[in-house]
Amino acid sequence: MKKWMCMNCGWIYEQELGDPMGGIAPGTAWEDIPDDWKCPDCGSAKSDFEMEEI
Amino acid sequence: MTVMPRLEDLTDKSFNPFEVEKLSTGNCPDPYPRIHELMSQGSVVYESYRNQFTDVPDVQMGHLPQCMVLGYDAVMQVLTQPEIFRNKEAFAPNLGKSFGNTVTVMDAPEHTHFRKIFQKAFLPQIVAKWGETVVDPVVNRLMESFIHRGEADLIEEFTHHYPFQVIYAQVELDPEQAPVFHKLAIAQLLSSIGAPQGPEATQKLGEFFGELLRQKRAKPGTDLISHLANVEVDGEKLPDDVLISFLRQLMNAGGDTTFRGTSVLLAGLLTHPDQLKAVSEDRSLVPHAIDEALRWEGPVASTFRYCAVDTEIDGNPIKAGTYVNTVLASANRDPRKFENPDEFNIFRDRKNRIMAFASGPHVCIGQHLARVEMTRALNAILDKLPNLRLDPDKPAPQIIGHMLRYPEHLWVRFDPQ
Repeated sequence: MKKWMCMNCGWIYEQELGDPMGGIAPGTAWEDIPDDWKCPDCGSAKSDFEMEEI
Repeated sequence: MTVMPRLEDLTDKSFNPFEVEKLSTGNCPDPYPRIHELMSQGSVVYESYRNQFTDVPDVQMGHLPQCMVLGYDAVMQVLTQPEIFRNKEAFAPNLGKSFGNTVTVMDAPEHTHFRKIFQKAFLPQIVAKWGETVVDPVVNRLMESFIHRGEADLIEEFTHHYPFQVIYAQVELDPEQAPVFHKLAIAQLLSSIGAPQGPEATQKLGEFFGELLRQKRAKPGTDLISHLANVEVDGEKLPDDVLISFLRQLMNAGGDTTFRGTSVLLAGLLTHPDQLKAVSEDRSLVPHAIDEALRWEGPVASTFRYCAVDTEIDGNPIKAGTYVNTVLASANRDPRKFENPDEFNIFRDRKNRIMAFASGPHVCIGQHLARVEMTRALNAILDKLPNLRLDPDKPAPQIIGHMLRYPEHLWVRFDPQ
């Protein structure tokens, strides 16, 4: 399974969970997350995420 | 064939760093009433965290201007503003002396550059594979020594050893050198209380890792050190001082904290038999139990940052040059975020992330490995020690310390296997 992962800390974005504390509702597709959103664990930019095989 | 270099013991072989370490971590049975009291005073209190709980002087930081930042949101603010609250100055006088030039003692852009290289070796999909190949054999071997007895001290016989042995396996350390390794890994931290064995341990570990790196570059294997010794970034290998410092820190950051975290997890469950039963019967609760243990009694109660410019938090001024005790334990017990925060409750709402691994750019590199290790350890204990319970003839576990907390003993009984 491939998922978007923060390359600075390893946090994985789960679409069904979203990131409610960061203003991203559950179910939000990766493409629909704003570019200024930050990794909830380490604060890295969306551009620091890569698609990884989990 | 690679010949493992010899790790030299401390000159004073009778020196016991494990006993001396207790001086710096303290024996405070419960810092939380005081933490709640401090939190009620506001987000910033202009005192040192350590001075709340011990009179043992901090020879490295005691003379410096300090304040405490308390509460979930305020702690988060410090950890996620690295341009204001810096690591380099905060850790150069302490961990920098113990470990050297580690990523903990760096700020951006240097930190960003090296952090990604190290994190790549500890991403979730990488460490998940170590669960079966590295962690399980260590866990099983340790448990074999007491599983037939029907009783054990899970701290002395299990948790105090397994995370360190996982690291030894990853770096393919000669097992007979393990006791000296463990001793030096702890001793290197004692620079904080002025013990000469601190710098001595730092130097001896550095010489050992330096020689090991030379060998692993000449004849690489499949182990973690071979990987880190040969990985290239922009056509260059990691500098020796950065890599040696990282390996020194790995022993403590990866060993000492997971040992304490697992000890607290088991203590929490064993003192709440209903929750132990629930997690034993439904293993989907294991991640909840781990999160709750790390929230309830996070192994590291407070960490430092250095305030680089005049700023404020919730209207409380913090002057440039102040060393900020960022009290993670207050964030994890903040009643505004966690209902009945002093209760151990694996069923609690998980909408707020725990702060045991900190947050921001310096969030723990090894958090995914720690979770794998704790998961494997807990599942093995639940599988192999049926009818597990506290030993009624021994003292109940008591979690102690104001900075690095854990129970010194966890005497249990179970049905012998």
